[in-house]
Amino acid sequence: MTDAEEIKTTIYAMKTTAKQERTVVDNIVKALEDHDEIRVVAVMAPDELKGYVLIESPDSIARIEQLREMVPNARAVVKGEMAFSEIEHFLVPKPVVTGIDEGTIVELIAGPFKGEKAVVKRVDTSKEEITVELYESMVPIPITVRGDNVRVIDKTHE
Amino acid sequence: MASKTKKVLRVCRNCHHVVDGEACVTCGSSNLSEDWAGYLYIVDPKHSKIAEKMNIDMPGRYALKVR
Repeated sequence: MTDAEEIKTTIYAMKTTAKQERTVVDNIVKALEDHDEIRVVAVMAPDELKGYVLIESPDSIARIEQLREMVPNARAVVKGEMAFSEIEHFLVPKPVVTGIDEGTIVELIAGPFKGEKAVVKRVDTSKEEITVELYESMVPIPITVRGDNVRVIDKTHE
Repeated sequence: MASKTKKVLRVCRNCHHVVDGEACVTCGSSNLSEDWAGYLYIVDPKHSKIAEKMNIDMPGRYALKVR
Protein backbone atom coordinates (compact mmCIF):
# COMPACT_ATOMS: atom_id res chain seq x y z
CA MET A 1 0.00 0.00 0.00
CA THR A 2 3.05 2.26 0.09
CA ASP A 3 2.53 3.42 -3.49
CA ALA A 4 -0.98 4.62 -2.90
CA GLU A 5 0.03 6.30 0.34
CA GLU A 6 -0.59 10.00 0.23
CA ILE A 7 2.56 12.06 0.78
CA LYS A 8 2.11 15.72 1.52
CA THR A 9 4.04 17.71 -1.03
CA THR A 10 4.89 21.38 -1.02
CA ILE A 11 5.53 23.74 -3.90
CA TYR A 12 8.61 25.94 -3.76
CA ALA A 13 9.67 28.65 -6.18
CA MET A 14 13.29 28.88 -7.26
CA LYS A 15 14.69 31.98 -8.90
CA THR A 16 16.79 31.36 -11.99
CA THR A 17 18.84 33.31 -14.50
CA ALA A 18 16.55 34.84 -17.13
CA LYS A 19 15.74 32.55 -20.07
CA GLN A 20 17.43 29.58 -18.41
CA GLU A 21 14.27 28.16 -16.82
CA ARG A 22 14.15 25.07 -19.04
CA THR A 23 17.87 24.37 -18.57
CA VAL A 24 17.45 24.68 -14.81
CA VAL A 25 14.59 22.15 -14.85
CA ASP A 26 16.77 19.67 -16.77
CA ASN A 27 19.72 20.31 -14.45
CA ILE A 28 17.59 19.82 -11.33
CA VAL A 29 16.51 16.42 -12.65
CA LYS A 30 20.13 15.58 -13.49
CA ALA A 31 21.25 16.59 -9.98
CA LEU A 32 18.51 14.46 -8.44
CA GLU A 33 19.86 11.33 -10.10
CA ASP A 34 23.04 11.53 -8.00
CA HIS A 35 21.36 12.62 -4.79
CA ASP A 36 18.77 10.18 -3.55
CA GLU A 37 18.38 12.06 -0.27
CA ILE A 38 16.57 14.91 -2.02
CA ARG A 39 13.06 13.97 -3.03
CA VAL A 40 11.41 16.01 -5.75
CA VAL A 41 8.28 14.74 -7.46
CA ALA A 42 7.85 17.38 -10.17
CA VAL A 43 9.56 20.47 -11.55
CA MET A 44 7.92 22.95 -13.86
CA ALA A 45 8.69 26.15 -15.73
CA PRO A 46 5.53 27.90 -16.89
CA ASP A 47 6.08 30.41 -19.69
CA GLU A 48 4.07 33.04 -17.86
CA LEU A 49 6.39 32.92 -14.86
CA LYS A 50 9.68 34.23 -16.22
CA GLY A 51 12.80 33.76 -14.13
CA TYR A 52 11.38 31.12 -11.82
CA VAL A 53 10.90 27.38 -11.72
CA LEU A 54 8.42 25.65 -9.43
CA ILE A 55 9.45 22.57 -7.51
CA GLU A 56 7.03 20.11 -5.95
CA SER A 57 8.67 18.21 -3.13
CA PRO A 58 7.75 16.48 0.13
CA ASP A 59 11.02 17.74 1.65
CA SER A 60 11.75 20.85 3.67
CA ILE A 61 13.04 24.10 2.20
CA ALA A 62 16.55 23.29 3.50
CA ARG A 63 16.74 20.35 1.07
CA ILE A 64 15.69 22.61 -1.79
CA GLU A 65 18.45 25.07 -0.78
CA GLN A 66 20.88 22.15 -0.92
CA LEU A 67 19.57 21.32 -4.38
CA ARG A 68 20.00 24.92 -5.55
CA GLU A 69 23.68 24.84 -4.70
CA MET A 70 24.16 21.94 -7.10
CA VAL A 71 22.33 23.48 -10.04
CA PRO A 72 23.97 26.09 -12.26
CA ASN A 73 21.83 29.16 -13.07
CA ALA A 74 19.68 28.58 -10.02
CA ARG A 75 19.85 31.81 -8.02
CA ALA A 76 17.78 31.51 -4.87
CA VAL A 77 14.92 29.67 -3.27
CA VAL A 78 11.96 31.88 -2.45
CA LYS A 79 11.25 31.71 1.27
CA GLY A 80 7.90 30.17 2.04
CA GLU A 81 5.58 27.76 0.32
CA MET A 82 3.08 28.17 -2.47
CA ALA A 83 -0.47 26.87 -2.30
CA PHE A 84 -1.52 24.42 -5.01
CA SER A 85 -4.36 26.74 -5.95
CA GLU A 86 -1.80 29.41 -6.86
CA ILE A 87 -0.19 27.28 -9.54
CA GLU A 88 -3.28 25.40 -10.72
CA HIS A 89 -4.01 27.87 -13.52
CA PHE A 90 -0.61 27.18 -15.11
CA LEU A 91 -1.56 23.52 -15.50
CA VAL A 92 -4.80 24.03 -17.37
CA PRO A 93 -4.22 27.07 -19.54
CA LYS A 94 -7.37 28.43 -21.06
CA PRO A 95 -7.31 28.82 -24.84
CA VAL A 96 -6.30 32.30 -25.98
CA VAL A 97 -9.36 32.49 -28.20
CA THR A 98 -11.67 32.38 -25.16
CA GLY A 99 -14.00 35.36 -25.32
CA ILE A 100 -13.62 35.81 -29.07
CA ASP A 101 -16.70 34.92 -31.12
CA GLU A 102 -17.81 35.48 -34.68
CA GLY A 103 -18.63 39.14 -35.14
CA THR A 104 -16.26 40.34 -32.42
CA ILE A 105 -14.31 43.44 -33.40
CA VAL A 106 -10.61 43.03 -32.76
CA GLU A 107 -7.42 44.97 -33.32
CA LEU A 108 -4.43 43.15 -34.77
CA ILE A 109 -1.46 43.72 -32.49
CA ALA A 110 1.26 41.92 -34.45
CA GLY A 111 2.24 41.06 -38.00
CA PRO A 112 1.96 43.11 -41.22
CA PHE A 113 -1.54 44.35 -40.37
CA LYS A 114 -0.58 45.60 -36.92
CA GLY A 115 -2.89 48.36 -35.73
CA GLU A 116 -5.70 47.49 -38.18
CA LYS A 117 -9.17 46.78 -36.93
CA ALA A 118 -10.98 43.68 -38.14
CA VAL A 119 -14.17 41.65 -37.71
CA VAL A 120 -13.87 38.02 -36.66
CA LYS A 121 -15.37 35.64 -39.24
CA ARG A 122 -14.30 32.26 -37.89
CA VAL A 123 -12.77 30.92 -34.68
CA ASP A 124 -10.70 27.72 -34.62
CA THR A 125 -10.48 26.76 -30.95
CA SER A 126 -8.27 23.71 -31.43
CA LYS A 127 -5.61 25.56 -33.42
CA GLU A 128 -6.19 28.76 -31.45
CA GLU A 129 -6.48 30.68 -34.69
CA ILE A 130 -9.05 33.18 -35.83
CA THR A 131 -9.98 34.30 -39.33
CA VAL A 132 -10.70 38.00 -39.64
CA GLU A 133 -11.62 40.50 -42.32
CA LEU A 134 -10.10 43.94 -42.18
CA TYR A 135 -12.52 46.80 -41.49
CA GLU A 136 -11.15 49.35 -43.89
CA SER A 137 -10.34 46.98 -46.71
CA MET A 138 -12.28 47.52 -49.97
CA VAL A 139 -12.37 43.84 -50.81
CA PRO A 140 -13.08 41.40 -48.01
CA ILE A 141 -9.95 39.28 -47.75
CA PRO A 142 -9.96 36.67 -44.99
CA ILE A 143 -6.78 36.69 -42.93
CA THR A 144 -5.98 33.92 -40.46
CA VAL A 145 -4.01 35.02 -37.42
CA ARG A 146 -3.00 33.50 -34.11
CA GLY A 147 -5.39 34.09 -31.27
CA ASP A 148 -2.76 35.88 -29.20
CA ASN A 149 -2.08 38.37 -32.00
CA VAL A 150 -5.32 40.24 -31.48
CA ARG A 151 -6.88 42.42 -28.83
CA VAL A 152 -10.65 42.42 -28.38
CA ILE A 153 -12.18 45.88 -28.87
CA ASP A 154 -15.89 45.20 -28.93
CA LYS A 155 -17.91 42.08 -28.34
CA THR A 156 -21.13 41.35 -30.16
CA HIS A 157 -24.33 41.99 -28.25
CA GLU A 158 -27.05 39.72 -29.47
CA MET B 1 34.41 24.22 -31.11
CA ALA B 2 31.21 25.96 -32.05
CA SER B 3 28.14 24.19 -30.76
CA LYS B 4 25.60 22.76 -33.16
CA THR B 5 22.38 24.62 -33.81
CA LYS B 6 19.95 24.02 -30.96
CA LYS B 7 17.54 21.24 -31.74
CA VAL B 8 13.91 22.24 -31.64
CA LEU B 9 12.05 19.93 -29.30
CA ARG B 10 8.70 18.63 -30.43
CA VAL B 11 5.69 17.75 -28.36
CA CYS B 12 2.99 15.13 -28.90
CA ARG B 13 -0.37 16.83 -29.40
CA ASN B 14 -2.22 13.92 -27.78
CA CYS B 15 -0.38 13.40 -24.52
CA HIS B 16 1.81 16.56 -24.28
CA HIS B 17 4.94 14.39 -23.99
CA VAL B 18 8.18 16.02 -25.19
CA VAL B 19 9.45 13.79 -28.01
CA ASP B 20 13.00 13.33 -29.31
CA GLY B 21 12.34 11.21 -32.37
CA GLU B 22 9.65 11.13 -35.04
CA ALA B 23 6.86 9.54 -33.01
CA CYS B 24 5.64 9.77 -29.43
CA VAL B 25 7.03 6.99 -27.24
CA THR B 26 3.97 6.93 -25.00
CA CYS B 27 1.03 6.88 -27.37
CA GLY B 28 2.77 6.10 -30.68
CA SER B 29 1.23 9.14 -32.32
CA SER B 30 3.20 11.11 -34.90
CA ASN B 31 1.02 14.16 -34.44
CA LEU B 32 3.81 16.39 -33.14
CA SER B 33 4.03 20.13 -32.66
CA GLU B 34 6.96 22.54 -32.42
CA ASP B 35 4.75 25.29 -31.09
CA TRP B 36 4.40 24.71 -27.38
CA ALA B 37 4.89 26.54 -24.12
CA GLY B 38 5.60 25.73 -20.51
CA TYR B 39 7.93 22.94 -19.45
CA LEU B 40 7.10 20.28 -16.90
CA TYR B 41 9.24 17.43 -15.61
CA ILE B 42 7.41 14.74 -13.70
CA VAL B 43 9.79 12.67 -11.58
CA ASP B 44 7.33 10.72 -9.43
CA PRO B 45 3.80 10.74 -10.88
CA LYS B 46 2.38 8.66 -8.04
CA HIS B 47 3.00 11.30 -5.40
CA SER B 48 2.76 14.45 -7.44
CA LYS B 49 -0.31 16.65 -7.21
CA ILE B 50 0.75 18.36 -10.44
CA ALA B 51 0.81 15.01 -12.26
CA GLU B 52 -2.57 14.12 -10.79
CA LYS B 53 -4.07 17.38 -12.02
CA MET B 54 -2.55 16.91 -15.47
CA ASN B 55 -3.64 13.22 -15.59
CA ILE B 56 -0.06 12.08 -16.08
CA ASP B 57 0.95 8.60 -14.94
CA MET B 58 4.34 8.28 -16.60
CA PRO B 59 7.48 10.12 -15.50
CA GLY B 60 9.14 12.32 -18.11
CA ARG B 61 9.13 15.68 -19.82
CA TYR B 62 5.86 17.37 -20.75
CA ALA B 63 4.64 20.63 -22.17
CA LEU B 64 1.97 22.63 -20.38
CA LYS B 65 0.47 24.03 -23.55
CA VAL B 66 0.61 22.68 -27.11
CA ARG B 67 -0.70 24.47 -30.16
